[in-house]
Amino acid sequence: MTAPVAMTKFVRPHDVAEAIAVRRENADSRFIAGGTDLMVNIRHGIQSPSALIDLTGIDEMAAIEVGDSAIRIGAGVTIAALARHAHIGAIYPAIVQAAEQIAAPAHRTLGTVGGNLCLDTRCIYYNQSEWWRSANGYCLKRQGEVCHVAPQGRHCHAAFTGDLAPALLALDAAVEIAGGFGRRRIPLAEMYVEDGRAHLKLAHDELIVAVHVPVRPLRSAYAKVRLRGAIDYPLAGVAVALAADRGAVTSLRIGITGTNSRPFVVTGTDDYVGRPIDDKTLQDIDRLVQKQVQPMRTTITSAHYRRLAAAALARRLVAQLFQQATA
Amino acid sequence: MKRDSEQQRTGVPLIDGLEKVTGRAKYTADLDHADALVGRILRSPISHGEIAQLDISKALALPGVRAVVTSEDCPYTYGVLPIAMNEYPLARYRVRYRGEPIAAVAAVDAETAERALGLIELKFRELPAYFTSEAARAPDAALLHDNKPRNIEREIHHEFGDVRQGFAAADLVREQRFSCAEVNHAQIEPHACLADYDPIARRLTVQSVSQVGYYLHLMLARCLNMDPAQIRIIKPYVGGGFGSRVEVLNFELITALLARAAGGKVFMQLTREENFLTHRGRPQTDIKLKLGMRRDGRLTACECEVVQRGGAYAGYGIVTILYAGALLQGIYDIPAVKYDGYRVYTNLPPCGAMRGHGSVNMRHAFECLLDRMARELNLDPFAVRRANLLRAPTRTLNELMVNSYALGECLTAVERASGWKERYGKLPRGKGLGMACSHYVSGAAKPVHWTGEPHAVVNLRLDFDGGVTALTGAADIGQGSSTMVAIVVAETLGVSLDRVRVIAGDSALTPKDNGAYSSRITFMVGNAAIDAAKKLKAILVEAAARKLEARVEDVECAGEAFTVGSGKQASLPFAEVAKAALVDRGPITVSGTFTCPPEAQGGKHRGGAVGSTMGFSYAAQVVEVTVDEDTGAISVDRVWTAFDCGRAINPLAVEGQIQGAIWMGMGQALSEETRYLDGLPAHASLLEYRVPTAAESPPIEVEIVESRDPNGPFGAKEASEGALAGFPPALVNAVANAVGIDLNELPATPDRVLQALVEQRRQARLANARKMAS
Repeated sequence: MTAPVAMTKFVRPHDVAEAIAVRRENADSRFIAGGTDLMVNIRHGIQSPSALIDLTGIDEMAAIEVGDSAIRIGAGVTIAALARHAHIGAIYPAIVQAAEQIAAPAHRTLGTVGGNLCLDTRCIYYNQSEWWRSANGYCLKRQGEVCHVAPQGRHCHAAFTGDLAPALLALDAAVEIAGGFGRRRIPLAEMYVEDGRAHLKLAHDELIVAVHVPVRPLRSAYAKVRLRGAIDYPLAGVAVALAADRGAVTSLRIGITGTNSRPFVVTGTDDYVGRPIDDKTLQDIDRLVQKQVQPMRTTITSAHYRRLAAAALARRLVAQLFQQATA
Repeated sequence: MKRDSEQQRTGVPLIDGLEKVTGRAKYTADLDHADALVGRILRSPISHGEIAQLDISKALALPGVRAVVTSEDCPYTYGVLPIAMNEYPLARYRVRYRGEPIAAVAAVDAETAERALGLIELKFRELPAYFTSEAARAPDAALLHDNKPRNIEREIHHEFGDVRQGFAAADLVREQRFSCAEVNHAQIEPHACLADYDPIARRLTVQSVSQVGYYLHLMLARCLNMDPAQIRIIKPYVGGGFGSRVEVLNFELITALLARAAGGKVFMQLTREENFLTHRGRPQTDIKLKLGMRRDGRLTACECEVVQRGGAYAGYGIVTILYAGALLQGIYDIPAVKYDGYRVYTNLPPCGAMRGHGSVNMRHAFECLLDRMARELNLDPFAVRRANLLRAPTRTLNELMVNSYALGECLTAVERASGWKERYGKLPRGKGLGMACSHYVSGAAKPVHWTGEPHAVVNLRLDFDGGVTALTGAADIGQGSSTMVAIVVAETLGVSLDRVRVIAGDSALTPKDNGAYSSRITFMVGNAAIDAAKKLKAILVEAAARKLEARVEDVECAGEAFTVGSGKQASLPFAEVAKAALVDRGPITVSGTFTCPPEAQGGKHRGGAVGSTMGFSYAAQVVEVTVDEDTGAISVDRVWTAFDCGRAINPLAVEGQIQGAIWMGMGQALSEETRYLDGLPAHASLLEYRVPTAAESPPIEVEIVESRDPNGPFGAKEASEGALAGFPPALVNAVANAVGIDLNELPATPDRVLQALVEQRRQARLANARKMAS
């Protein structure tokens, strides 16, 4: 049932240009770094690349640089390295908190920042064996015609479950993307699309080289709900970046993962600028989040719970950060 | 058994522990299968239907394929209960759950085998499928098994004492429904089997992960229609059982069928998904429980209805539904008990035995309701248990023997250790303490395969080298049974543990054993080992007496020496005595036995043997939790338990087993559950089936309470199962204590907790509004 992994072509380029060149030559290839997401999918038969391009030999992608105005995190930096980066932890706790809550120690040792940002979307009808999916008539995300989550629609609802993205989104990060036509830098939010089948707006020959996070006087935090204290993907994950001055919010961004096919920034939080955070505003924020998240039956745990929990986490983190900022 | 040495006080590491932690131990998948064919199973893609077409010709024609088997190769049913063998190793005529094996292939490698599976042509005539007990019991439901109306495998109606009068005498009567999700053993070692058939000698050797090598032997002989004398079963190291391998499993029979068809060696290893499909876990259970209680906490009557969603085949089902009723008793003194049990067939993987077999979900309901009624009567949870203690020796209404009973001491121990009196009811909101009690049998007094033979036999060998070899069929599956045998033999003979070697689980060498189930090994095999050691000792003492020119009754054996009097004048080392004993008779083999007397084998009522045992273990535990009211997440902060195991033969192993049982109960309480989508398991991986991780494992304090059972080996009873059932209710009671919600569903996942909290807030608002209005 778990098909043996047929050994495919395996290339280990030394720089970004070479990686892209190999990618252009192999239409059906995949980039791989830690492989903690991809290898499981290959074994499940939901990915079957003919070639794997290993990015772990590219030095440029493995570095973290902390400057006065920006932090550059290489896409090849391991989650474990990010999680123990004290300097980043001091500036933006949200990043380190997100990193240290990813999966389990072994996954963090292998998994990378780029991999976590490009995590495949997940669904209980999709992340199953070939036998299982075949018995179920496959699904819209792969090989099938129907989305079993919402059979009436023609839309795939598989959920994005990376933990780093919401933290980086809340902190207004940009991604540095390399491709056949050179490099470009776009806001991270623009890399994602609300489509479980194709949630990444990256061209075939593009890869993420690094993430750039502007350094600003923000307080930040990340929290997630899951059934276990390790291993599990977020049922909902929330990052908040907040600044306050003289008892009033001056900046508020909320990033969310686990509830939609893409991680996203909650809209409408600017309305709270210039206001204090009190019970009423917290209630409003709770409602705002509940309105914008779109959890579907993609997990064993109910969608309704993921909605309530996302809102509860947002409320809690906003309150906590505002209190810190005004203390 | 003395407690003189440090070793006796703290116990010893398992004798095979070093092999395991160094990676030298060979589990089934580690055996040499370099030259073996690879076995793979074709499984049903549908939940229920007749097999209209099954064509294996293309698969057989594929180069590299050495055998393809179907039910044509095995027209015989199998099953653990002689009265309920209704399963074929490979589906015959009909499939009843998604994942049921239909055909199997042996090929030169895995890829060829997989390809061959794809070439097998299958057509079905689909039948209606049922995934809940309720749907399967509907009057118009199609039958899974033609001889079982309403899809009920077995219903039980037992009544002991006058239940009506009992409820009439109560000051408080409460009834509550509970639902417990299906759980799986999730043992870490995936199922595997290596079968080797010699077509010339017509002999079959099977090495498998089984907890019950003897049953495997019987079922192989039946399903392959072979003389059992031609079969040999060897148990390699086994990476956990918990009941998952306590009946013969289809893949074991299939591997053997393939080996015979191919005329060679076949290796089969199941994926984690296939492990979940093979299942045999604890069934989803609906319970309706009614208790009557006097103002002082004394129980007056109990009425309990249990419905178990059993899956597609019988397995242990009848035993499970009987256990749930029988073990309502044996822990508290209840004057009247009525039990109605229904075991239901559904189109899902078959359930089976799992640690705490039959008792866990019923105990959960009981201990939760007991706590809630105590709260209504303003009684302390400890007080209400104390009001209903048994007094040993006694017999329960359903004829179960209680020969030793230290539940009262267990209660005192955890009450003290947890600081209950000082802390209960005084913690801030969000933090809570809960408690519960539980018990379990030390071996079923009546084995499922009744032969009239002794319940256990152990052979001991002594040869020229002076080494004592214990031969036992008892399967060490990680619970430490081989170490237990070594200890009781060494202790009885008065020799060091190093002198004793244990060989376990090889049908060509070791005496038959019923297997590792119902926590029978320590009690039964332990007693048989003592019996054998006493016989060997008698031979040695006689030889020593001759050499020492003393009377037999004056010779002592301890510390590897035979002595007379203080030993200063006359002492002989063990090796010398062994040599002397061998002079007369050559190498010595003795056989020790243990038999449960008929009066221990339960009542005369139908099904009365289930639940009967020579000794019950007892446990009390306290769980401390923190509930996050925003997310519904529960964290278990600490657990205290006290456990009456009669006597701890190996305290180190006992503590480990108790902690393991509590931890397993924690999984069922917090996060473990199966979930089927139209009969397909959505949970069939260790990602989606949520066994707790190290992150949420609390400190578990264990206090061993020794009641010295009059019949147990050195007074010992079981220690591996009894503590499990107490955890889920203790947790749910702790959550009630922390935030005032009463959960009726397991597991207590954050979504269920949050839903209850939302409902609690809504009720509070309504109550508030009513108050304002009035």
